[in-house]
Amino acid sequence: MAGSEGRTEQPQGGESGPGRRQFLRTLSGAFLGIWALGGAGALAAYMRAPEEDHSSTDRIVRIGKLDELRIGEARLVRHGVSPFFVIRTGSESVIALSAVCTHVRCILDYDHERRGLVCPCHDGRFDLNGNVVSGPPPRALPTYEVSTRAGEVFVRV
Amino acid sequence: MSALGKGMGMIRRVMALALLLLPLAFLASTSAHASARKTADGKVTRASGRCGSCHPDERVAFEKSRHAGEEMHCTSCHGGNDQTVDEAAAHSGPNWRGKITRAEDPKICASCHSDETRMQPYDLPVDQYDLYQTSGHGKGLAKGDGKVAVCSDCHGSHEVLSAHDPSSRTYVTNIPRTCGTCHGDSTLVRERKLKDTYHEYLGSVHAKSLFDKGNLKAPTCVSCHGVHGASPSDIRNVNKVCGRCHTAERRYFQAGPHAAAMAAKQMAECSSCHGDHGIAPSETARLATSCVKCHAKGSKDEVLGATLLATYQAAEDEIRKAEALVAKADAVPLRTEDYKARIEEAHTYLREALTAAHAVSPEGMSGYTERAKSVGEEIQEELKSKLQNITVEKIFLLVFWFYVIVTIGIIRRFRDADAEVVK
Amino acid sequence: MSTLPKAAPATSRWDRAIDWVDDRVNLSELFSFLTHFGLIYTPIDTKRPLRDVLHQVRTTPLESYARWPHILGLLTALLFGLEAVSGILLAFYYQPTTLSAYDSTRSIVRDVMLGWLVHHVHMWGSYLLCGVVLVRMLRLFWDGLYKAPREILWFSAVGLAWLVIQLDFTGLLLPWDVKSYWAAQRGLEIVWSLPIVGPLFSTLVGGRTMSEDVLNRFYVLHIIVLPLMYLGFVYLTFATMRRVGLSRIAGAVPKLTTFRRHVSDLIVITLLLFAGLVTLATLMPYQFHGAADPYQTPKGTLPPWYMLAPYALFQLPIPRWIPGLGLLAVALALPFLPAIVKGAGERLDEKRLRMAGLGVFGLWLVLSVLGALVDRK
Repeated sequence: MAGSEGRTEQPQGGESGPGRRQFLRTLSGAFLGIWALGGAGALAAYMRAPEEDHSSTDRIVRIGKLDELRIGEARLVRHGVSPFFVIRTGSESVIALSAVCTHVRCILDYDHERRGLVCPCHDGRFDLNGNVVSGPPPRALPTYEVSTRAGEVFVRV
Repeated sequence: MSALGKGMGMIRRVMALALLLLPLAFLASTSAHASARKTADGKVTRASGRCGSCHPDERVAFEKSRHAGEEMHCTSCHGGNDQTVDEAAAHSGPNWRGKITRAEDPKICASCHSDETRMQPYDLPVDQYDLYQTSGHGKGLAKGDGKVAVCSDCHGSHEVLSAHDPSSRTYVTNIPRTCGTCHGDSTLVRERKLKDTYHEYLGSVHAKSLFDKGNLKAPTCVSCHGVHGASPSDIRNVNKVCGRCHTAERRYFQAGPHAAAMAAKQMAECSSCHGDHGIAPSETARLATSCVKCHAKGSKDEVLGATLLATYQAAEDEIRKAEALVAKADAVPLRTEDYKARIEEAHTYLREALTAAHAVSPEGMSGYTERAKSVGEEIQEELKSKLQNITVEKIFLLVFWFYVIVTIGIIRRFRDADAEVVK
Repeated sequence: MSTLPKAAPATSRWDRAIDWVDDRVNLSELFSFLTHFGLIYTPIDTKRPLRDVLHQVRTTPLESYARWPHILGLLTALLFGLEAVSGILLAFYYQPTTLSAYDSTRSIVRDVMLGWLVHHVHMWGSYLLCGVVLVRMLRLFWDGLYKAPREILWFSAVGLAWLVIQLDFTGLLLPWDVKSYWAAQRGLEIVWSLPIVGPLFSTLVGGRTMSEDVLNRFYVLHIIVLPLMYLGFVYLTFATMRRVGLSRIAGAVPKLTTFRRHVSDLIVITLLLFAGLVTLATLMPYQFHGAADPYQTPKGTLPPWYMLAPYALFQLPIPRWIPGLGLLAVALALPFLPAIVKGAGERLDEKRLRMAGLGVFGLWLVLSVLGALVDRK
């Protein structure tokens, strides 16, 4: 701190040409500036939390047996910070939708009667394709790929 | 008041006496058979009738058995009448058999156990008696040998238990000891010029698996020799018997040159190298050491074993080096889960190579050793380059120091700028 | 006060900005905070405007401590600063639970960008700090700098050494690495055997054996309690210096320098220190040995190095409280060395005292070596 204080008062005396002096001063300043830049960069790099492991096995979530899901039932899967709904729409068709509202990240509820998702905070509504039906949400809900293997439902998040 | 007191005192005295006598009475009732006969109350139980009055030990054993609850009575085997305690009446009747001799034991058991209608409810086989006839024991008995095993030797006489009952003599972990009663009895074994196979078995890898690891699937005596039809395996069939479980080894062995040659010379196949009852754990060293048992030292065939071993060890070495590097990477730490999984895979190849070695063909085995080796080498290469990436940090360190030194130079210029001011 | 030099009237925009704020907030008071922690120790009057104060500071010659042997004291403060910065960065990711302590530490080193540098610098900083406080105590003793009026200086030097050891000990456990875990466990055993203090300390840290509680309390001690106490002692050290001045060899003329030179030297030293730590961290990184398994003691576990001497003593076939009492006596007597020396008066001349101190230090070294060899049988 005191250093930067002093640095503003670069040497005033001396006989060499003012051009060269000015150049040296700028060069030194630039050089020291890299410290600040480097420090800020390093800090930013450090503060950027490492992303979760991207191995494919981690990203495939096992939901359970297809038979255990009733047709028309929506199940909220609590997966990390991004919960999602798994909804069985027909005998063979299962869909997975993010349960996080695109408005202000409230957790959505499933509306059985209207077959859609409704936000408890601001009454934003989504259909089962994730499209916004009404309310403030700005974007459609992300949908996830569902696969059924040997009677078990898996969701790729 | 005083009369009552006297009465109370009297009762107390009698009670004390009774308490003193009670243990005596107890002793008297249990110690002598004769007294049992006298004090018998003729208590009737479903299974043993009144027989237990005079035969309490047999009764206790029988009541615990699998038979007791299944419409079996003392009379089913021994005959007589179990509804009376009168000795003469009880020990008589048209079907009175009394003590059962060893010779008639199998027949009596078979009278029920060969009867399909009787065994059906219990889902039990009915061929034990027929099998027994074919067994070494059965043949001996037919020749009048009184010391061969009969049903009761393994199953017990009164205390017959299901083979699924862990306290049963025929429960899987108890089978070796049951057979060992005779086959591990030194006098009996010497008398009959047999091997003490029980104690040999106890040292085997199979026994270790059964007893130490609790692997109930591990082979016991009956796994190879059969149960009721127990007989020594024909020497030509040994590899088939072993091959029941060690299928892959057998397949490779059959494909190799040993199978035909050994069959021609009537040599025991598996046991020539591995031993029979005292089967030792698979050791890679045996690849090289067991050849000399048959092949001349220094001969072409004997050297082949050493080649197999060397091939195997070369692969094993690469994997060990890879493991060392993984440990090093773990200390840094780097991500190593993937490498650990691949090392597991390489270990599987190594294991398969040992199986393939039964074909004694270096070409056949090298398919697996090469794969194991290449996995080991790949891991080493990748990890080495990853660990060397850390040296990039060292180069970066040089740049960093250059920077530090230049900065110090700049600061020194700044530092000395006001030298005049001080003066 | 009016005789003090005044700064030139504001010319640049920068000066005017300072003046503007200074008219509304007492910047000089804020600035004087720096003097409390020793960056500058020119006496300043906080009632004057900041630019006047700065001018005064700049033009007053001062005696720099950025050189041997005063640098030892400076390093105890500088290294602490570096440890604090790197420690705060580590705390962003570290999780003090038995389940995730090891994984989070490993993740810092492995997954976080430059996390390895922060972690290893923190580790090497702690090693250096241990060395520095030890050498500083030795030099203060050797040069007799515990005598009046420097008793408080000695007292805080001992306090700093104690705190560094405790910081090191509490920090050692945090990675929950198998080596550190068992070293800390051994250490805790030694602390436990000190009469009175042992049970007290064990209550403080939540038990005699490692557990979730102990880990959490070690963490709190390590990042909050002990550093604050350390900061207090750093303040105390610089406060004695502002009152009694820098120590100097008898008869030597004080070497005066300018503020600018002093600050430059401080920056250069900090830079060199940082660069040295980065070098050590790169060339000799921390080694992970696997997560601690409370049910399996690895072979060759030793307590931390500063506990090796008591560890050796505890191998003697006598009840543990006897060496424990001795240790406690030495530890308690150490801060009161000045009073003891004064009480002894003429009987203890300088030379004899130095030899005695050297003897104690030598004994400690020998015992430490023995302690390291105890389990080597």
